[in-house]
Amino acid sequence: MSNYTVIGKRVHRIDGTEKVTGNAKFTFDLVLSNMLYGKILRSPHPHAKIVNLDTTQAEKLIGVKAVVTGKDTLGRKNGIWRRFPELCDEEILCRAKVRFVGDPVAAVAAIDEDTAEEACQLIRVEYEELPAVFDPLEAIKEEAPQIHEGVELNINVTRHIEWGDVDEAFKRCDYVREDRFKTSSQHHVCMETHDAVASFDYNGKLTVWTSTQSSYYIQRLLADMLGLREGDIRVIKPPTGGGFGSKFELDSAQFCASVLSMKLCRPVKIVLTRAEEFTATKRRTPMHYFSKLGAKKDGTFLAKEVRVLTEGGAYTGMGATALYLTGFFSSFPYKFPNYRYDGYRVYTNTAPTSACRGFGAPQSTFVGESQIDMLAEALGIDPIEIRRKNGMTPNYEVPGQAFIQSCELHQCLDKTEEQIKQRGKLPPNHGIGVACYGFMSGGIFNWFDTPYAFSSALVRINIDGKVDLFTGACEIGQGSDTTLSMICAEELGVRLEDIRIHSGDTGICPADLGSWGSRETLMNGNAVKMAAADAKRQLMAFAAAKLGANIVYDLNMTDRWFHLVDRPERGFSYYDIVKGVIRGNDGEAIIGRGHYTPHRKGMISPAYSFGVQAVEVEVDPETGRYKLVNVSTAHGSGKVINPVGIEGQLEGAIMMAGGYGFCEDQPMDNGKILNPSFDDYKLIRSLDMPEVKILEIESYEPEGPFGAKEAGEGLTNPTAGAIGNAIYKAIGVRINDLPITPEKVFRALREKENQGK
Amino acid sequence: MKKELRFTVNGEAYELYVKPKSLLMDVLRDQLGLTGAKRSCDTHTCGTCTVILNGLAVNSCSILALQANGGEVLTVEGLAEKTKLHPLQKAFLDYGSFQCGFCTPGMLMAAKALLDKNPKPSKEQIKEAIDANICRCTGYNSVIRAVTAVVNGEYEEAK
Amino acid sequence: MIRDFEYFAPKTLEEALTLLDKYRDNRKIIAGGQSLLKLMRHGLVNPQYLIDIKGIFDLNYIKSEAKKGLRIGALTTHWAIEESPLVRNGFSILAEMERKLAFIQIRNWGTIGGNLCHADPAQDPAPVLMVLNATLRTVSLKGERTIAVEDFFPDYLQTALGPNELLAEIQVPTVPSHTGTAYTKFNIIENDLATVGVAVSITLSPGADECQDIRIALGASAPTPMRAKRAEAVLRGKKITDDLLTEAGEVASAEAEPLSDINASEEYRRQLVKVLVKRIGKEALTKAKQA
Repeated sequence: MSNYTVIGKRVHRIDGTEKVTGNAKFTFDLVLSNMLYGKILRSPHPHAKIVNLDTTQAEKLIGVKAVVTGKDTLGRKNGIWRRFPELCDEEILCRAKVRFVGDPVAAVAAIDEDTAEEACQLIRVEYEELPAVFDPLEAIKEEAPQIHEGVELNINVTRHIEWGDVDEAFKRCDYVREDRFKTSSQHHVCMETHDAVASFDYNGKLTVWTSTQSSYYIQRLLADMLGLREGDIRVIKPPTGGGFGSKFELDSAQFCASVLSMKLCRPVKIVLTRAEEFTATKRRTPMHYFSKLGAKKDGTFLAKEVRVLTEGGAYTGMGATALYLTGFFSSFPYKFPNYRYDGYRVYTNTAPTSACRGFGAPQSTFVGESQIDMLAEALGIDPIEIRRKNGMTPNYEVPGQAFIQSCELHQCLDKTEEQIKQRGKLPPNHGIGVACYGFMSGGIFNWFDTPYAFSSALVRINIDGKVDLFTGACEIGQGSDTTLSMICAEELGVRLEDIRIHSGDTGICPADLGSWGSRETLMNGNAVKMAAADAKRQLMAFAAAKLGANIVYDLNMTDRWFHLVDRPERGFSYYDIVKGVIRGNDGEAIIGRGHYTPHRKGMISPAYSFGVQAVEVEVDPETGRYKLVNVSTAHGSGKVINPVGIEGQLEGAIMMAGGYGFCEDQPMDNGKILNPSFDDYKLIRSLDMPEVKILEIESYEPEGPFGAKEAGEGLTNPTAGAIGNAIYKAIGVRINDLPITPEKVFRALREKENQGK
Repeated sequence: MKKELRFTVNGEAYELYVKPKSLLMDVLRDQLGLTGAKRSCDTHTCGTCTVILNGLAVNSCSILALQANGGEVLTVEGLAEKTKLHPLQKAFLDYGSFQCGFCTPGMLMAAKALLDKNPKPSKEQIKEAIDANICRCTGYNSVIRAVTAVVNGEYEEAK
Repeated sequence: MIRDFEYFAPKTLEEALTLLDKYRDNRKIIAGGQSLLKLMRHGLVNPQYLIDIKGIFDLNYIKSEAKKGLRIGALTTHWAIEESPLVRNGFSILAEMERKLAFIQIRNWGTIGGNLCHADPAQDPAPVLMVLNATLRTVSLKGERTIAVEDFFPDYLQTALGPNELLAEIQVPTVPSHTGTAYTKFNIIENDLATVGVAVSITLSPGADECQDIRIALGASAPTPMRAKRAEAVLRGKKITDDLLTEAGEVASAEAEPLSDINASEEYRRQLVKVLVKRIGKEALTKAKQA
């Protein structure tokens, strides 16, 4: 099946024209009649008891319609790891205690934003400040203040992964090295901040329009927190301005808007400011890493031991998953016969850390790839050669953890090596660094405790042949609407323009866990393919009967034409078949159903992407400033369904991953984030963006629809490590803590000079 | 006390009464319903609110609406001519120069302002023109390719 | 959030000065607003009266007066300065500085006067104007004054403007022959505010290779834009060599009073001053030799 009519083609995005004309209405643009505007009052303290909360002055302000506090909620605690009540620790609207600067304590609904903001300033909160702790290394000590009742040493979650016998294996190694690393915070920086319009009606039904990666999760979590029946809540996802992992948990905008709306039976809109976005929404988990790597003198890896302490922030969120994945991906993408990981997530009085594109893997890849280069140098082995020697191959089993089917790592290494050779001799102070990675295509975990299939889809074929595709998958910019429509069209045998997709609306779409962990193409793609196949079977049955061909002949439909595979001129038009089937169904439209849940796919994921990135830097040795000159990426994402989409992910990831390595961070003082604006939060803009080269890789993943697997997150993993390796190659200094700023490079150079003297 | 604001937006004349503290962005979005320009920051540093005022690309969130009095504003809604998309819009579609779409109106207007002033910019000049416009999704290079394609005449003459 | 204010939009300098005189307290002047509006949106500045001078066309000009030099109205936008043939042909360093000042959108609406009056020590115009020996003409109902740019910033975020004075004009004298001027700013990402800014102007004595005059100005290296006079003394009257430039860099580095902040430590800023004074000095010298 190598001749596809839809997939693999360069197409316009399904939602393209509305976005380029400015007609796309985001939650940010939504205005409903009788709507009010909400603002949230947040704690200025990192750790404090709420002694008294007086809202009377705020309530009196003209234009204010309602003020709510924790007392107006059911006092429940929200958490996305619903199967583990001890990890559901976030009230959102705090009742007795605040745990980070930015923790919400009240919310106001008023006739406009300015009035709501003014009212917030009139709310009098009396706090009793408590000792606070910010560094997980401090928080884990006996004397540290306890952030959550009953949680000893502030240890929120621990994780252990092990196979083989590392202690014994280290003894057999010719070379062992131990290194410490520190990775930084990063913010998702979605261009659309968290926002929601909540509307509770007189029938007790709540509708929420919100910028989200999972309307189903928000529906379920709102039901938990508000005490409403899940079916009485409808969550609708309008065009959404980015997610990157920040928008599939219940957030303060959604919750407070809902609470306010329930008090008033009027729509309430809350849009977080950029400052709130930076300080009071979840962010990438900073981690302290200890990594021990052992190999034989020919470069064969024998053992790896990793210990990680992560800065959890005030609440769990998805931090437990980041802890697990960083431990798992610390073993990627190499064959370690012996491996041990121990991870500890520690509560701190800082903004909670959670899911952020790559989900623990950018951290582990930075550490792993830096250390491999150090090992390679010590052993006198070429960095690509050592990776080739140990890299995963197709059909490899990570002992007790995962079964890797497709794996393009070696192809990627070959292409990258060729690309580097072509570059030729580098000018002075230039260096090229390489990093390998692998990532999951959706997780097998059900800590959310859903009874539904992980992905579901419904296809409805109408009398005129137009196909309605209903899916819970959430288009957040990553292109799932387009990719899933392409899969549907290909499977059915029609054209892309025949598909009209309805996504992300819990009122009409079947449940889907959402767009995170890079799951949509594989998981929802499989569900969509199944639904399309189900619908197609009904058409085929009728067509076969109508055609009356001998049983030995195969039938198919491609490009709206039912035909014998061997004699394509014998057939019928799709439109005729559709009419016939509907008539045969007593006038009922044709429905196809599909779903997908991974079963027996190991501990992590049904499939993994692999890739290699090479980054060239130019360093100014007198100042430490460096430029990202060019980046080449070879990424194996199985069969490419949507080439324009994959290129976009490839290039876009470099902006975010490059920033993670180079300039993005959230320094704090006493738990207060010091750079909550684009003035001070530096990120890569067009003038800073390097030249990008995409090295094409062909592959096929049996688990995925038409052989496809992930592309969105794996690409975020390698850049920081490649930058670190490139700087070392350029000027011989290594930085073990992110981001690698010019000042750090300068200091390392000066220390090297002083040591030389 | 509200003051009179008379200006042209996308070729249409308007006479409004606005509070002096109103920002140009808020008047365009809230009073005229032109929601293309967005707000993504509070420090004039993200570019999502870029519109063209008197032929110049500006951040509409950093300008008092009254400063546009007597002026001409062009927003993304004014790019297409009825059903005919502007060459930049077509190029963006062809080159996949957007994903979530939130920064896209601002990006398009920054590019249009550049081409209005300089129909044959260099790659460096294109990068400079969109440097204010943060895009978290695309990594900018596809935007540059699209604008370059328009510059090279791959579409109808840029307006 | 921006609080309500009473708004005035004078069309002439006279009207503006009268308003300044009438509303002395709780008032602010807005030109392009690229700096002020940010402060107002964050509630850091809440004027009761706002005087919008952006529409005063009399203050928006670029003129060249023979033998005297360039005259730039305070309300000239950064973009206009960058594009002006008058500026490019005699004072190209100003055009180069304007081009890197900030994003295009800000340069298109922001004014040079507004930028100077905001008095940010990291701003670009001040160091460049200092090495060009520029002066500023200020006006009030009582009359005019001329202030040297280097005397315009008495303290952090403060200007030497009197309470009812307006900055009207920037005066840049004709650049003497055998003069080379160069400017750079160090930032982590392009178009960003300076982590450190350095401007150098070198005038060589005619015929000889001697440094007849030198001016070194630093941005983001002290609470205000500053002249590095001790560093200048290292080079003035001498034949400039690479070693001397290195020494001047070291002296400038010691002379500066940079702060530590989240973008850079004091120590790193001093290192940047040291390196950039040397480099920009070299660039200015090369230009002076070619002039």
